[in-house]
Amino acid sequence: MQIFMNQCKIEILRMFRNPYFIIWSLFMPIVFYFIFTKVVNTEVPDKALWDAHFLMSVATFSVMGSAIMTLGIRMVQERSEGWTNFMKVTPLSGMAYFTAKMIGQSVVHAFSIVVIFIAGVLLNGVSLSAFEWIMSGLWILLGSLPFLGIGVLIGTMKRVDTASGVSNILYILLAITGGMWMPMEVLPKTIQTIGAWLPAYNYGNGAWEIIRGQAPELKNILILAGYLLVFMVLSTYIRRKQEAV
Amino acid sequence: MEYAVEIKGLTKVFKEKKAVDNVSFSIKKGEIVAILGPNGAGKSTTILMMLGLLYPTNGESKLFNADARDKKVREKIGVMLQEVSLMDGLKVKEIIGLFRSYYPNPLSIEQLIRLTGLSGEDLNKRTEKLSGGQKRRVGFALALAGNPELLFFDEPTVGMDISARKVFWQTVRELADKGKTILFSTHYLQEADDIADRIILFNKGKVVADGTPEAIKGNLLRQSVSFSTGHPFPKVQFLQLPQVSDVYVKDGRTFILTSDTDLILSKIFTEQLDVYDIAIEKGRLEEAFEQLTVEQKEAI
Repeated sequence: MQIFMNQCKIEILRMFRNPYFIIWSLFMPIVFYFIFTKVVNTEVPDKALWDAHFLMSVATFSVMGSAIMTLGIRMVQERSEGWTNFMKVTPLSGMAYFTAKMIGQSVVHAFSIVVIFIAGVLLNGVSLSAFEWIMSGLWILLGSLPFLGIGVLIGTMKRVDTASGVSNILYILLAITGGMWMPMEVLPKTIQTIGAWLPAYNYGNGAWEIIRGQAPELKNILILAGYLLVFMVLSTYIRRKQEAV
Repeated sequence: MEYAVEIKGLTKVFKEKKAVDNVSFSIKKGEIVAILGPNGAGKSTTILMMLGLLYPTNGESKLFNADARDKKVREKIGVMLQEVSLMDGLKVKEIIGLFRSYYPNPLSIEQLIRLTGLSGEDLNKRTEKLSGGQKRRVGFALALAGNPELLFFDEPTVGMDISARKVFWQTVRELADKGKTILFSTHYLQEADDIADRIILFNKGKVVADGTPEAIKGNLLRQSVSFSTGHPFPKVQFLQLPQVSDVYVKDGRTFILTSDTDLILSKIFTEQLDVYDIAIEKGRLEEAFEQLTVEQKEAI
């Protein structure tokens, strides 16, 4: 257990030392938040609701990005540089290694959520009930699982360049079609229809519902769980095939 | 006899090409063994299979009479592989500390510093800021972290400068004196000869020789005694000697290929053979070994 805790600690340390993480997961979302609530969109009818709504958008955007990109690219990098193979000759089990990564990642996500929420309070005085803060935070944390699944799937790629290209494009596409940059309503109808079935929208929508005093829709939960299952099955299958060499 | 390593009929086929072809040998506890051979001879593939990192197409491999993937076995081995970078985002002392935490009886940081020649300054550097040579030293420290009984070094000195090499081999000798079992691969004959008490010579995926450095050198070297003679020479008599591998005539001179030139000379004199203009040719070891390498390259 001591070994495992130590491993988690190291993974967390590594993420915080990664400059890309700081830029993409903390700095960019907060800058976005500032621009879209302070510079533009200042004339919206219900400003307080919009400020809270968009705070959820950037928080989901941040965590989704870190789950897809940081995890996936790091996994490819560690494998291509022989590190993953090398870990197999140590007494640390592959399972412990992987789980520590997931836990480390989640702790860092929790940190990002807190920082972004605080930014919302400081910049716009976003005011939610304690219950809403906690529930939306938990939703964003737990709802990130399918995106960690995407990260693991990207982690099965052979080259860092491919992984980083694919994950960047996927990230941006998911963020746009999921209404994380601008509300779904302003997107073209076809994109709205498709987006409603993609994981990002269902992820964001859960948080948007919570700050409106409602529970996430059952459909949101089912779709996210479905994606998680698909990604897990897919990456297990791919890993089996790769290990059969 | 208890073996640290035991492999039987190990074969690995990559896309129709046999990288390792029916290799068997055992290594006793406390032996220092060099796996010597040119690049592409199957040394690394064999080591990866021993460690359970690669599945053999055929055959089996055991460490301490158990599967290499057993936790108990992993706690007793230390490994340096080729082309492994270090986990980034960590200071040297953090990564070494992490590895020490994996093992039940790790060596202290102080011992690891002394054994690997790392400096106190290096310890506070991030792994991605290290030079190639420093990285190898850290890799060495990681291999020793758990105070292992059995050590695997795959081409350990590649990327090390001269002083790092010196420290490395000094430590290996020290470890050997403590009764550790050490297996390393190299394509430098000199390293194998200096350090190992047994050399397993690989070529084209097969073990072509296995013995003490002296025996291996004897095999690699082409030594000959040559002379001119006016009379028919008792060729058969020499060919019967175990030390003689061939007798032939070239450009009017008779050549006796042998591992022991002194013996041939004494035989010539004691039997008072009617020969003259005797010469001894000793091949150079490195040349002989390079010959092997060249043949290998041509085959590819």
